[in-house]
Amino acid sequence: MAIAVEELEALVGKPFPGGRYTIEPYRHWLMQDAVGGPATREGEASTMEAYYGALAGMGLSVDELFTLVGATADDGPMFGEAGIELRRPLRIGESYEVSGGITGVVRKEGRKAGVFDIVTFRLELVGEDGAVAAVSTNSFIFPRRD
Amino acid sequence: MALDVHVGLDVPPVVIDPVPAEPMKTVAALLHDSNPIHFDVEAVKALGMGDRVVNQGPNNMAYVVNMLADWAGGPGRVRGLRVRFLGNVFAGDRLTARGTVTGVREEGGERFADLDVWLERAEDDRVLDGTAVVALG
Repeated sequence: MAIAVEELEALVGKPFPGGRYTIEPYRHWLMQDAVGGPATREGEASTMEAYYGALAGMGLSVDELFTLVGATADDGPMFGEAGIELRRPLRIGESYEVSGGITGVVRKEGRKAGVFDIVTFRLELVGEDGAVAAVSTNSFIFPRRD
Repeated sequence: MALDVHVGLDVPPVVIDPVPAEPMKTVAALLHDSNPIHFDVEAVKALGMGDRVVNQGPNNMAYVVNMLADWAGGPGRVRGLRVRFLGNVFAGDRLTARGTVTGVREEGGERFADLDVWLERAEDDRVLDGTAVVALG
């Protein structure tokens, strides 16, 4: 039985545990090397670090996020949209406080896809200067097959 | 040096050929992504998804970010990205990251370019598309 849409909507506005994310130099190097970017261990970081930091610092694993919305990886969740907004460049070696939560839930039904939920969550990364350095907004699509 | 940027300008495309399988293992470990479709071909076969591992979605975003950073003069120049994931990318695929300038503006004393960006397997086969904001310096 799919989770009731009312239960999902009740999650909107409740914060994730949150956490801290540091752009470790070795990690930046490895990730950039993996995606064909300039592999560096100092200086400005790839904009993608806002995305990685949001997921790593939200205080939930991706599997725990799926559980929160009544799904598992076996349900075949898919990426919907992903957004990154940098207020300033991120720096390798800098730490960020990560906070945020679910900001939207939409249940839809398609002729082929059946019932599915689009769950959107937004996370902020606050730098060592106390200001928001980046915002990451992402959505997952959860098929509800039963 | 400030870039000469105008509406309609195409960013130099970047080709990823082929999408490599081995780095997906590194990314799975770094992102704590336990989904075996990124590193275990047998899991991909069991799901009826073919016989090649599936690239992580963030990797596809990163190809676009890298193209923009290379064009604009550094990683800190890519200030915004919003994308839709349109399809799976498999190891061995040939991809091209592309972008076109849709606007140039000033804000807070800084110049920015707005762009349409996308990642394609072929002209009519986009696997990711969206918009981006790049600081021009």
